[in-house]
Amino acid sequence: MFPLLLLLLSGASARFDDFDEGDDLVEFDDNDFAEFEDVSEDLPTEPPARTVTTEDDEDEATVEVEDNQEDFEDSETPDEDIYKYDAEEFEGFEKSNPSFNDPINILTVPSHLQNSWESYYMEILMVTGLLAYIMNYIIGKNKNSRLAQAWYNSHKELLESNFALVGDDGTSKEALSTGKLNQENEHIYNLWCSGRVCCEGMLLQLKFLKRQDLLNVLARMMKPACDQVQIKVTLNDEDMDTFVFAVGTKKAMARMQKEMQDLSEFCSDKPKSGAKYGLPESLAILSELGEATEGVMDNKMVHFLINHADKIESIHFSDQFSGPKIMQEEGQPLKLPETKKTLLFTFNVPGMGNTSPKDMEALLPLMNMVIFSIDKVKKLHLNREGKQKAEKNRARVEENFLKQTHGQRQEAAQSRREEKKRAEKERIMSEEDPERQRRLEVG
Amino acid sequence: MSSNPNSMPDPRRPNKILRYKPPSTESNPALEDPTPDYMNLLGMIFSMCGLMLKLKWCAWIAVYCSFISFANSRSSEDTKQMMSSFMLSISAVVMSYLQNPQPMSPPW
Repeated sequence: MFPLLLLLLSGASARFDDFDEGDDLVEFDDNDFAEFEDVSEDLPTEPPARTVTTEDDEDEATVEVEDNQEDFEDSETPDEDIYKYDAEEFEGFEKSNPSFNDPINILTVPSHLQNSWESYYMEILMVTGLLAYIMNYIIGKNKNSRLAQAWYNSHKELLESNFALVGDDGTSKEALSTGKLNQENEHIYNLWCSGRVCCEGMLLQLKFLKRQDLLNVLARMMKPACDQVQIKVTLNDEDMDTFVFAVGTKKAMARMQKEMQDLSEFCSDKPKSGAKYGLPESLAILSELGEATEGVMDNKMVHFLINHADKIESIHFSDQFSGPKIMQEEGQPLKLPETKKTLLFTFNVPGMGNTSPKDMEALLPLMNMVIFSIDKVKKLHLNREGKQKAEKNRARVEENFLKQTHGQRQEAAQSRREEKKRAEKERIMSEEDPERQRRLEVG
Repeated sequence: MSSNPNSMPDPRRPNKILRYKPPSTESNPALEDPTPDYMNLLGMIFSMCGLMLKLKWCAWIAVYCSFISFANSRSSEDTKQMMSSFMLSISAVVMSYLQNPQPMSPPW
């Protein structure tokens, strides 16, 4: 009903448009073909003498046809042939004629209405990434575990023949060898051995690469790294003379000289080349006493170092070992850090990350060297001169330390005195008996 | 070694055994790997962001962070902490999708 009304209305307005095109109502003939005369440009190409019956029409038709022709020539283009339409036929559609020149927009159906799995490709990617991570975790964990076991299997005999206690996690009541590695992490395993002459104990740490972490694996593709075995032998006081000595790769020596408390204090000279002793160019020496270097670098040791130079990262003997330099905060009174006589060894596992369990056997000679070093250090005795020099060095370091902290210690003492006074005053004030208060004040 | 007649005498001394003491982490804080702690924190932050701001990608990154934290964690660490951060990130993902089932659009 309503659309019909609309059509009629638009038809009526269309007719008025026709009138507005220029024709007066007066000129409008009453005959049937009057409407044709009005619409000039829309007439198809007809011969002028076509079905026009009235005279007026004929004249007008002719004139109009001429006009028509002119109009046709002006306005007609081959493409618009199909758009020529009979006005009477399309009376109501004048206004609602679709404009064919506008481009057609094809809207995409929103993805959540599409109802297909393909639109969730980002999510599928995420889940795939997670699965890859989990797979890598399992594979990496297993590889590290196999490497650790292979190392232990190849070293077990040597360790058991040298130490009474091989493997201890510190929790069991009795000191019995557990015979297995402690797993600290998915990539760190350690082993504690004890019960031997010349030393208190030996802590071995297998620091593998983080094969279980995919991010780490990808980072290592940029920057290769290798698995490490770190050995720390703690000695009794009588087992070692007083000296500080280190040998290792140039990079490691430079780094340790900056980082390690004892190396930075006692070995202030730059790392020296070991060529004098026949060492390869890749190794450098840091030493407090020349005599100590002479004592350590005997033939067998040099032999070890030359043969396995590629696996040695650093070797550090020290009677003043206290770990890396600790960054103290301001205003904190320092005490000299506790020192312990220690031998430290850091070895690189061959293979640069792509290690197989067989490579662990290559580390066995290095363990032999460790055992040899323990016995050697026990036997190494400095002469009187060397001992005096060492004594002087240690006194110097202590003095420097005391000087540095002098100001801080004074402040600490001052604050302690003030604190005592304050506490005393409070006690007096809080005393309820006035008699006792007076007596205390006097006191 | 004991079968070799020229070998040294047995170096083992059962009476000199010292028990293993795990190195205290307070004395050497620099040697501790901070990765699992950072990743844990990051995972919690991302999952809160994903929940509050309804961002799907935040929630997914939180899941990844909690996985990385788990992979790098020490065995002595509390598993409860690990599980709680993991559950939080999973819940962030699930909530984001319940509220808005539309798939994630890539940033390009």
